[in-house]
Amino acid sequence: MTVLSTSNLSRSYGSRRGVDDINLTLQKGEVFGFLGPNGAGKSTTIRLLLGFLRPSSGSASILGMDCWSRSHLIKRDVGYVAGDVRLYPWLTARRAFQIVSEIRGTPLHREGMQLAERFRLEPDLPVRKMSRGNRQKVALVLALVHRPKLVILDEPTSGLDPLMQATLADCLREMAVDGHSIFFSSHTLSEVEDLCDRVAIVKDGRIVEDSNLNRLKTQAPRIAKIRYCDADTAARCEPPPGIVVTRTTGAECELQLTGEAAELNRWAAGQQIEDISIGPPDLETLFHRWYDVANPLGEDS
Amino acid sequence: MKGLLRKIIMEVRWPVLVFGFGLAVILSVLTALVPRILRDMGALLGFLPWLRPIFTAMMGMDPQNLSPRELMQAFLWVHPTVLSIIWAHELMFTSRIPAGEIDRGTVDFLLGLPISRWKLYLAETTGFLLTGVTIIGLGYSGHLITTLFLQPDMRPQMILTVYIVSNLLAVYLAVGGLSFLVSSFCDRRGKAIGVMFAMLLISFLLNFLAQFWEPAKTIAVLSIMEYYRPAIIIQEEAFATKNVLILVVIGLTAWIAGGVVFRRRSVCTV
Repeated sequence: MTVLSTSNLSRSYGSRRGVDDINLTLQKGEVFGFLGPNGAGKSTTIRLLLGFLRPSSGSASILGMDCWSRSHLIKRDVGYVAGDVRLYPWLTARRAFQIVSEIRGTPLHREGMQLAERFRLEPDLPVRKMSRGNRQKVALVLALVHRPKLVILDEPTSGLDPLMQATLADCLREMAVDGHSIFFSSHTLSEVEDLCDRVAIVKDGRIVEDSNLNRLKTQAPRIAKIRYCDADTAARCEPPPGIVVTRTTGAECELQLTGEAAELNRWAAGQQIEDISIGPPDLETLFHRWYDVANPLGEDS
Repeated sequence: MKGLLRKIIMEVRWPVLVFGFGLAVILSVLTALVPRILRDMGALLGFLPWLRPIFTAMMGMDPQNLSPRELMQAFLWVHPTVLSIIWAHELMFTSRIPAGEIDRGTVDFLLGLPISRWKLYLAETTGFLLTGVTIIGLGYSGHLITTLFLQPDMRPQMILTVYIVSNLLAVYLAVGGLSFLVSSFCDRRGKAIGVMFAMLLISFLLNFLAQFWEPAKTIAVLSIMEYYRPAIIIQEEAFATKNVLILVVIGLTAWIAGGVVFRRRSVCTV
């Protein structure tokens, strides 16, 4: 079941481009990573999805409803955390549960207090006395408390300590298992890699890659290290095509390959080596290549 | 709506009480002092002749055509302090949505909730009406209590005061509607307040200039003050139906336009 879809979604701010021709889909139970550096268009896309901004062209729908004209109905089943969380200074978590319960028309106090406890949030501390991380926790708890069908998070881990980041990741995984969909925007690859099934990379307002994470990993370079019995043998190392020697230090060679390591294994079996280690796919390098302005991977491939 | 009203109350309760009790105190003090000052209006204007055009501009008629009691009753409700308190509250309140919410960055949270923009606008308007009635009601109470201590010949006719307060509420609606409209275009609260303050100032000056300068008379109909004439209500002893209707129509039209703009515009903290 498609929870979210966009069709040629575009938005410009006068002469300044916001996002251009965004085409996305998100299925039920999917955890979707929306990756890109600051200013790439992640927040603009999210604001279009939530009906804050009117599209210049194209359309977006969530749960079959148009994101602009039916925005308020969509939000019954959506939980949202803004990139830069700002809340009312007088608001406490407890008071927020009361107000949000009245607006949503469902008692949420009990679930809210459970989540607050899980996120170690003081329910009676007003926002004006909270640290940035605690404000972020209030926003997260309010976004998750009604168990929405779709959770849209715009860089939600900023300000959270590693422990709370792990708690959030656990929460989101549990929700995904229960069939809730997660739209997770971030500029940090590692957290997307840990959590998401599918990733779209946005650059200058356009989607440059939208792929399953496993498929993306097959495109990512891997580093292998081979230790020969002596430096002379290492210097004569000639790997098969597709695998390149990036560095030789004494008896140790560092090789770079892309995708599966079967070819490397076959070749290594015929070599006189003492040790071999093959690292995981390095998505970070791939990600950096997407953003290499001088040599964009998207245009090469 | 209940949750939104709770939020509004949390945010405005103290300023509303300060404005309300402030207005009550000021109207009470004015009610007590003005009769003493204005009792001998002829002598006062003879001593300070430049006061005459000011009074004429404020009340829309020559003060010498009114008895001291009538003058006191009319003067109280056009006193700049009274109008300033009411308008200050109006500008602060009506600039909350969307300008204020955008300005402080909380609009993302608010619009992330399942409420239509019209409902948000309606909730704010409900708060605006309730707080306006509270503030003007408190002011009226302060005036009413003090009149009990006035000499019988200076006590105002209560029904006429009710007519004047009704006209003042209509002014409140008109200014509020216009202010909601201005706010719906703005992303900065200061800008919304500034634009509306300038409009009120121009309106006030236009009304003032129209008393002495012929060209200003032709455009004086654009001034809100043109439709708020307590002195005429007192002299004619009649409810200012036409003026109230004009003010309500101005307020309602501007309010609807503000709602349409708010519904249709892109709103976010960027």
